[in-house]
Amino acid sequence: MVTKRSVSLADEVAKAVEAAAHEDGVSFSAWLSSAAERQLRVRQGLRGVADWEAEAGALTAEEIAAGEALLARLFSGVSGATSRLRRR
Amino acid sequence: MTVQARTGLVYGVGALRAAARGDRLVWAVHRAALMNGIIPVVPAMVVSEGFRTEARGDRLEALLAGSEIEPFTGEGARRDGELAARADTTDLVAASVAEAAARRNSAVIATRQAALRAAAGLLGHELVLYAV
Repeated sequence: MVTKRSVSLADEVAKAVEAAAHEDGVSFSAWLSSAAERQLRVRQGLRGVADWEAEAGALTAEEIAAGEALLARLFSGVSGATSRLRRR
Repeated sequence: MTVQARTGLVYGVGALRAAARGDRLVWAVHRAALMNGIIPVVPAMVVSEGFRTEARGDRLEALLAGSEIEPFTGEGARRDGELAARADTTDLVAASVAEAAARRNSAVIATRQAALRAAAGLLGHELVLYAV
């Protein structure tokens, strides 16, 4: 099932989407739909994190920084060690 | 060990277990991924094993809300089975994690397992692992 909607995009955004869709071998609509789907997944995911925090306590600034640092290390190709942060 | 940069994240059963048990660093890295627009990937077999072994299904659901569950297809089943055979392991879940990580050029969060490393090695993929 597909819903048709009329959307307005800034010229430069539309051009960039068109180029990206061409590069990925999909239609303009499919590319936009996929981007929206990813954005919705991120949103749902952050709600999931918030649900866990509501029960376990909010991540501190230090913990958030540790998570960002670990992600950066993994993405740069460096394996990590076992977590020593508290569990709740 | 430093190897080629990775562009994605794959969760093994260990990541799901750690999240269910409240490992705060796992939740923090999950949050960091999402904040950077990265959606972690979880092979379907990992999800099955996670729900089989963890009582905190609600926490698994919260983690999976921001993850892409990779379906277990016929083609994937053959790939994982052949890989497990070559790696001389019965651990199909580990094979599925290694295969997804290699195909998607992703780092892995999982427990440290010889099968995971062996399967990744057979694919010519140097495992980048955060061992929980």
